[in-house]
Amino acid sequence: MSALVRMRLTAFVRGGRALPGLLGTLVMVGIIYGGGRSDAAEAYGFSAVALFPVVAWQAKLLLDTEPDVQRRLAVTAVGPHRELAAGLLAAAAVGAGTVAFAMILPWLFGAITGPAGIAPGLWAHAASLVAAVGLGALASRAVTRSTLYGIAVLVTGSVLAIVLGLDGSVVPWLAPPLMAAARRLADHPDSASLVTLSAHALLWTAVVIAGYARMRRTRS
Amino acid sequence: MRLDGVSYRYGRRGAWVLRDVSVDLPPGGTGVVLGRNGVGKSTLLQLVAGVLRPSAGEIRERPGPVGWVPERFPADQPFTVHGYLTAMARLHPMTDPVDTWIDRLGLTAYRRTRLGDLSKGTAQKVGLAQALIPRPKLLVLDEPWEGLDAAARELVPEIVEEVTAAGGIVLVSDHRGETGRLPGAITWTVADGTVTQGDVAQAHAVIEIAVPAAEAEATAADLRAAGHDVIAVRTKAVV
Repeated sequence: MSALVRMRLTAFVRGGRALPGLLGTLVMVGIIYGGGRSDAAEAYGFSAVALFPVVAWQAKLLLDTEPDVQRRLAVTAVGPHRELAAGLLAAAAVGAGTVAFAMILPWLFGAITGPAGIAPGLWAHAASLVAAVGLGALASRAVTRSTLYGIAVLVTGSVLAIVLGLDGSVVPWLAPPLMAAARRLADHPDSASLVTLSAHALLWTAVVIAGYARMRRTRS
Repeated sequence: MRLDGVSYRYGRRGAWVLRDVSVDLPPGGTGVVLGRNGVGKSTLLQLVAGVLRPSAGEIRERPGPVGWVPERFPADQPFTVHGYLTAMARLHPMTDPVDTWIDRLGLTAYRRTRLGDLSKGTAQKVGLAQALIPRPKLLVLDEPWEGLDAAARELVPEIVEEVTAAGGIVLVSDHRGETGRLPGAITWTVADGTVTQGDVAQAHAVIEIAVPAAEAEATAADLRAAGHDVIAVRTKAVV
């Protein structure tokens, strides 16, 4: 499976599809940190929210890099389960690179203060990353079959993740806990709320990935 | 390998492409899938290869590894011929050396060529190579002769014989009449969503004839009535 992950990452980079996500990340980082020095925990909380659509878009781009017939060739080589897992792992690897880039860059320019915020910031980005990979997978061509539907899923999912996560939302559990995590990080969270939000993020992602796997069974 | 009551449709509300198909192929056997364009030959091959899952029924005792040659090789990928075949070989635990098939299929001059720069026939050879590198026990060939040069076309029956001699199973579709070169093959005829398993095919020869265009349909009908298999009717000469 690692060989298939490597093959997909190679195609993603060589095909120039890594560039849009990189530029999107630069824009997000510029907007978030352009106003001056910020507390790390608070800034990273909002960074995790802002990166959610970027990482989801990157995941879609990566999963769509391969022509449909090549994806089917991969299925014959490694089987449907490992083919699916390799795609998600490759998307997560690209997302992890984006998160590292977005977290390290502000330090290099002195835009962040308070090293104590690094660990909770890393947690918020990890929660955002797994949920974004799930959304990107749902928006991929293997599921949506068309660019238009893919973009619709990506944009709708990203908007709902923010709107449904607003303070006072009646159905916050329908969205990944990005906004809740950003609010907690600004208020210096306790460990109990971190565990609850982690469980929420993992459960949300598990449901989305299960939906992705189910749809892939019938849409090869 | 046995297909047991296999049915398939694209999507839950799609029309059935295949209904209740039950056929089998023994180890060392060759199957030739026959039928008009659009009847579901490629779908049947993809079900056999494991690319598609049956909507109903199951495929038993599918041998592995599986080599599948798609009708159109996906050349729109940022790899060279050697880079692509090496990456595909790494997906399998046991493979032939990549260069063995590069040399045998006449791809040596294209080792460093990007897939997107290949002609259709050369890209098809890459598709053939990636299927053969893992030493397949089930080789599924969808129109393998399409676009190949004369030397490579001669090689296909040779490869089929090698796979079956090693106890593997080969399934081939073809509308050019080239499968006449595979004596001993069992025919699977696809029509109206069903597959009929025929007898062992005899060796066939392909005769190309030219008639006035106005008489083409009538001649084809006469030939069919006489029990011949009319493979194609072209209105333009192919040089």
